[in-house]
Amino acid sequence: MKRFGNVYAAKDVELDIAKGEFFTLLGPSGCGKTTTLRIIAGFEYPDSGQVFFDEEDVTYTKPYERGTAMVFQNYALWPHMSVFDNVAYGLKVRKLPKEEIRRRVLEVLDLVGLRGLEDRYPLQLSGGQQQRVALARALVVEPKVLLLDEPLSNLDAKLRIRMREEIKKIQRTLNITTIYVTHDQEEAMSISDRVAVMNQGRILQVGTPQDIYFRPKNIFVATFIGKSTLLQGKVVKKDADRVVVDVGGEARIAGKLASDSGIKEGDDAVLVIKPEDFTVDPPGEPYNAIEGVVEFSMFLGSFTQLRMSVANQNLKVFIDPKKEVKPGSKFVIYVKIDDVLVFPRSEEVLEVA
Amino acid sequence: MDIRGSLRYLDNVLILMIVFSLALFSLFLILPLADMISLPLAFTLERLVSGTKTGYSLIELFSDPRLFRTYSTTEPVKISQLSGSTLVNFIGWNFGVIPNTLIIASLVTLNTTVLGLVVAFIMARYDFRGKMLMRVLAYMPLLMTPFVNAFVIKKLFSFDGLFSYIINSVIGLPLKINVDGMFGVVLTQSMAFWPIVYLNVYSSMMLIDPSLEEQAENLGARGFKLFRSVTLPLSLPGLAAGAAVVFIFSMEDLGGPIAYGFYDVLSYSIYSNIKAAQNIGEVGAYVGALSIVLLALALAIFFGIKRYVSLRQYAMLSRGGRWIPRVRKPKLVGSLIIYLVVLPVMVFTAMPQIGVFITAFSVRWSRAYPEGFTLDHFASILKNPDVITGLSNSLKYAAIATTIITVLSLSSAYVAARSRLQTLNEVLDMISTSPLAIPGLAIASGYIVMFTSWPFKDTFLDPLSIYGPWLLVVLAYTVRRSPFATRVIYAGLQQVHVAYEEAAMNLGASRLRTLATVVIPLLGLNILSGALLAFVYSIAETSVSVTVGAIVAGQKPLTAVMLDFLTGGRLAGLQLAAAMAVLIVVTQLLIIFVTNVFLKQRYAFIGV
Repeated sequence: MKRFGNVYAAKDVELDIAKGEFFTLLGPSGCGKTTTLRIIAGFEYPDSGQVFFDEEDVTYTKPYERGTAMVFQNYALWPHMSVFDNVAYGLKVRKLPKEEIRRRVLEVLDLVGLRGLEDRYPLQLSGGQQQRVALARALVVEPKVLLLDEPLSNLDAKLRIRMREEIKKIQRTLNITTIYVTHDQEEAMSISDRVAVMNQGRILQVGTPQDIYFRPKNIFVATFIGKSTLLQGKVVKKDADRVVVDVGGEARIAGKLASDSGIKEGDDAVLVIKPEDFTVDPPGEPYNAIEGVVEFSMFLGSFTQLRMSVANQNLKVFIDPKKEVKPGSKFVIYVKIDDVLVFPRSEEVLEVA
Repeated sequence: MDIRGSLRYLDNVLILMIVFSLALFSLFLILPLADMISLPLAFTLERLVSGTKTGYSLIELFSDPRLFRTYSTTEPVKISQLSGSTLVNFIGWNFGVIPNTLIIASLVTLNTTVLGLVVAFIMARYDFRGKMLMRVLAYMPLLMTPFVNAFVIKKLFSFDGLFSYIINSVIGLPLKINVDGMFGVVLTQSMAFWPIVYLNVYSSMMLIDPSLEEQAENLGARGFKLFRSVTLPLSLPGLAAGAAVVFIFSMEDLGGPIAYGFYDVLSYSIYSNIKAAQNIGEVGAYVGALSIVLLALALAIFFGIKRYVSLRQYAMLSRGGRWIPRVRKPKLVGSLIIYLVVLPVMVFTAMPQIGVFITAFSVRWSRAYPEGFTLDHFASILKNPDVITGLSNSLKYAAIATTIITVLSLSSAYVAARSRLQTLNEVLDMISTSPLAIPGLAIASGYIVMFTSWPFKDTFLDPLSIYGPWLLVVLAYTVRRSPFATRVIYAGLQQVHVAYEEAAMNLGASRLRTLATVVIPLLGLNILSGALLAFVYSIAETSVSVTVGAIVAGQKPLTAVMLDFLTGGRLAGLQLAAAMAVLIVVTQLLIIFVTNVFLKQRYAFIGV
């Protein structure tokens, strides 16, 4: 647990990260992911709780005795040192022989594609190159844990995608335990072995990207990951994990119970559906047919986005862009029962919605 | 965060820095002052409780007619006849030591505030021919010519001085003026200190977002209304800071009172009593009581203003928009004021420094103005063993002090900027900036009280021991001049992102190694310019130099030697002292030049 004044920056954070794993802390800004990372690096000490590397308790070990290596959000490349000196720093601290330092620095610069730039100074490099130097500086010491704090947030969109592929590739090659912090869910999905979704200092779910995406355990996770649309209603029937919800009027929608927490007939419930899961034709599996009035239609290239009114609630639907839909008309869309996730209604829902 | 949690972030190097800073400031600033005030305070308490008089207490201060009078022994302005001309004597009042000190400081603060504010407004908001000249003129009084400028001003404004000569012989009016006594001190200090207000207000004004004034103008405020309702209130922090420093400097100044022989002020009373006490070997409760008054006034003003300024630090850096300083050409009335009033006043205030230079190169100054050109004075001071000793002493003391200051300032600034112990940071910030406000004379008397008695008696810290006072002088320079370096380094640390240090420690570098390879190289320029500034201000130090520093002849620093030349009734003493002042000014100019041109640092000026 870590507190700043009366605010809990990180609370109930329990993580077990395996060797060689690429692990990501994902969450909105202020959710405690950077604080957690800084606790692992030793820049912050928790008010309670412990940090272990293998069997060793490092909770209060000084940052310089931990053997982690961090890539900072703003890179923190020392402006008074050349690329070579920046990268060599950790090795010089470790008092390695000169020739070995030189060999390893050049090797790692090769790995990140910066061979030949070792005499430049950080200010003479582009943002992407600075990023690579920061990565090289961390990798060269062969750290027990590589820590990356939103390393791509200062790059433009195209470069960001290229760099994340490279980081992933290098991590695979070196098989280095990596903890990555980001607020970008797409980045987290694409790069990680496992993801921990955090909000308000708590960890809400830990799992593979597929787990998090398809099987969210929590309404925050369900709405934070990907796009989603919500319907509220009352449970009218419950059969194992199959739930039927009355969303008002005559409309009844069947879905899959997503949360472990109990829900019974008569309870308030929230349905979470990904807009891309709707189809205009009935699918092969058990499905819901939902009728509504199209209020608004927006052609977005790869799909058309509709806003439909269903039982006085708004529904966001993505459909085939070739299908023409007139605003004001009645329209029926389909969604598989397994693609409708049912959560008990809580205060949190209102916040997210 | 609780204390125990914050303590975890400490390491040996940080602890060493904290201990070093606190120990140095405690031993050579806080304890001597506390020791000095304890004696009169004890007497006061005794007298209040038991009614018996055991020694000089604070109560005696108010019943001593030399210190407090309800009447003035002089008439402020007296008119008489002198060889066919009307002589107007501007003398001022004499209400006793404490009222005099307050009257002088108030008048000087008033004068410097008006002039500083006007010049700052003109420089910040107008563009005109000769602006560069005015900028240079405004810096002139800051050139350090300890004591000599006061003597030059006295000569310029005496009945047979340059001004009377111009009125009498050049213009031909049967009128002579003579400025003396309290008014002489006020004149001298006003001329010397106004740029402090100017620089503080100017930097405040340059920080005002132009759109704030444009908005007011857009709503119909113009001219004086705009100035009074927007510009002035937003410059108040700078104005208050500058005025506070001037008030404190005025109370502490020795040059003016010595030059005019106006001895009924706190600074001179403390000075002369320390001089007298040296022979007896102890400073009594009387000096202690006087020093308490001086110290209490200075600290009250300093911390009062500091609090006020911090409350009024408006966030003036608004987002977006263009930042085009609002400079415009003055209209006719504005031009007339600039060229006919402000510029002449500024030339006038630069005259003492110009006068010091002319004096140093002139053969004699027995009539209204200096005459003849010669380099003899420089030749003779460079042959004079007292001057050579003084010069080498000053260089030696300043060099050692600067070395200690560099470590001290780096320690206290680094801890204040980086430690997680909030309270400690605030305490350290307060202690390390307070020497700006603590009169050197209070420190001098504190040193003599504390280090001449147990357990320091006859040790190398005892100024009356066989070792002499030199080490104490060095330590006094260290404590008094460290704030100059501390501020520059602290400002630099706020520009260096903490991630640079975290990155180094993350890669395994200890705190010491991080300091050596990351912090110090990145702060190099700040450290160097802070050290240079501390060096030159150490050389020009007067209060401790002419008291503690003057105890042993062979250990006198240059400023003490200068005072000997000025007051010793020596032939061409003024010219010789002026030549020494020129040496100091040249050093100062060199250092300003280096910090500005090579280190690209703005000349750090004096403020709260």
